[in-house]
Amino acid sequence: MKDYLYDGSFEGALTGIYQMFNDRVKAGEARLVWAATYQRDCFTKVTEVETDPSKAEKVTRWLLEEFGEIGFRRAAYAYLSDDDQYGTYLFCFLKKMNRLGEKGLDFFADQDINKVYKIYNRVCRESHLLLGLIRFMELENGILYATFEPTANILTLLTGHFKERLSNQIWVIHDTKRKIAAFYDGKEVYIRPLDELEDLKLSGSEKAYQDMWKTYFKRIAIERRNNPRQQMHMMPKKYWKFLVEKPQEKTK
Amino acid sequence: MEVLEKLAILADSAKYDVSCSSSGSSRPGEKNALGSASLPGICHSFSDDGRCISLLKILYTNKCIYDCGYCINRSSNDELKRVEFTPDELVDLMIQFYRRNYIEGLFLSSGVVRNPNYTMEQLIEVVKRLRTVERFNGYIHLKGIPGADAKLIEEAGKYVDRISINIELPTTKSLRLLAPEKSRIDMINPMMQIKEGIEEYRSDKGRFKNAQKFVPAGQTTQLIVGASPEADYNILRIAESFYKKMDLKRVYYSSYIPVGNVPSCQPYGEMSLMREHRIYQADWLLRFYGFRAGEILTEEDPFLEMMIDPKCQWALRNMQYFPIEINRADLMTLLRIPGIGNVTARRILASRKFGPLDFDALKRMGVVLKRAKYFITCRGKMMTAADQNPFLIRQLLADVSPQISLFEIYPNQFGVSS
Repeated sequence: MKDYLYDGSFEGALTGIYQMFNDRVKAGEARLVWAATYQRDCFTKVTEVETDPSKAEKVTRWLLEEFGEIGFRRAAYAYLSDDDQYGTYLFCFLKKMNRLGEKGLDFFADQDINKVYKIYNRVCRESHLLLGLIRFMELENGILYATFEPTANILTLLTGHFKERLSNQIWVIHDTKRKIAAFYDGKEVYIRPLDELEDLKLSGSEKAYQDMWKTYFKRIAIERRNNPRQQMHMMPKKYWKFLVEKPQEKTK
Repeated sequence: MEVLEKLAILADSAKYDVSCSSSGSSRPGEKNALGSASLPGICHSFSDDGRCISLLKILYTNKCIYDCGYCINRSSNDELKRVEFTPDELVDLMIQFYRRNYIEGLFLSSGVVRNPNYTMEQLIEVVKRLRTVERFNGYIHLKGIPGADAKLIEEAGKYVDRISINIELPTTKSLRLLAPEKSRIDMINPMMQIKEGIEEYRSDKGRFKNAQKFVPAGQTTQLIVGASPEADYNILRIAESFYKKMDLKRVYYSSYIPVGNVPSCQPYGEMSLMREHRIYQADWLLRFYGFRAGEILTEEDPFLEMMIDPKCQWALRNMQYFPIEINRADLMTLLRIPGIGNVTARRILASRKFGPLDFDALKRMGVVLKRAKYFITCRGKMMTAADQNPFLIRQLLADVSPQISLFEIYPNQFGVSS
């Protein structure tokens, strides 16, 4: 067994792929794993991958040329899942794809191709769900501010949608778990590190609209059809913290 | 009166409307304007009854001159406090909710106040203001008021993404009984008009760059199940003909919930969410699986079974077509297999180009083997040495999900009345 260690970045993973293909490693023979959490033992040969943007760039171009936009997106979105097996999955996926070419993307019966597809799909679903669950509050200065903590690192997947939808607003979406935020100034989106903010001053009318939304949320449910299971299934509890409306909270 | 109180009352009055879908329209964002619409639609929350909240579903007013037995807003309901928004209040609420990403757009309906034309004019005033003054570019679904002038429907169609006119009850006879002031023809005529308008828009869209939009997300309708005696078979036949003749996007079914004591409007037959659920499943078979209503049910056997889903019911009645070989069947045949949906069927077609599929592969691809295994072979072999006796399979396929109690499925047999 051989292990390749990378720094956890997307470029790092792609550099690792470059190196593994260069070393003619076979699928099943080696893993590509995070260096930070790696535990060494005395039987495994370890190769440390040094992230190299030019090698990563070569792999990116190869992905786009050989497997198209869709193929690249599968690899890139799956990365955002923060799955600790990602590197190895990606390697096995690309070994297969290298043999099959772009049409291999449709080979859902294959374990390696299916694995990456599933992770990619999980990321897509979370990002679609959160397009709806993000809640902005209006600050004193009119800026719309939202916090959330997605399971996958999907902040970048949301910005295009909100740039289009709220194009005449100024907004910030803050991933407080990863301490990064997307800023939109009315023209462009910037992604920057951002620590948790304290003492936010809300606009004068913010509370009134939040109250109206909470009331609406309660009133729109048909009591005789109460179905908390379904509610939790469609909208997992881990997201409730960031909603204005708190499901199952008793209000008048 | 405060807007908060109006909102509470008018949400209460609107909640029995089923649809909340925001799909079918693609409006790219515009520079310096608010809003966009996404083709697949977006859910923004899920209320305590588990339904999706996508649009601000609200009535303009719950004042109503009609006295429909099944409706909470009927004029004879004295317990209801009657209120009315002003266009300003509603427009402000919309914009402020939308900016905060609470909602995907507006679903505006109304009681009939004064007369149908006056009501329709009020609704148009709201959506027109949203589109032209506020330059709101999100999703709008408007209820058409039966009996309003054709001109008003045409005007509304320019501003909204979707229009729906409720047919309310499956047959004219039931309508006469429960909603005596409403007439079927007042529902059918505007539906025809909208259908023709949409066709015209579609053909213009291909030829002119700036064709006037008209109801781009199509029209839908809704009917109440269980307030009148029609069987599931009749309901499906009606839905089928609406899909064919009116080119509807959806027919929504709403299990009747008695609202107050109206003697003429008592729940009829199995009044359960399960029945509604089974009808929706059958509706899906009509729209996406190439089934005809006459295959799912017949006049002699007009009710869906509660214990197993309609596709399984069909399969068990037609065991002569099974088992089906996964590696050879075409799309329409694959779609007939219980446990295989549209996505999985397409994946099967794509994947088997690389070689024959086995049961493990099917499982990975999302086939529900629990149901499918009685109806398929992979390279000539069945998964289990299952008996092909439909009676036994029926037992094995019965839905015993813990959330459905026997009481709910057979309320009459257990003497439960709610």
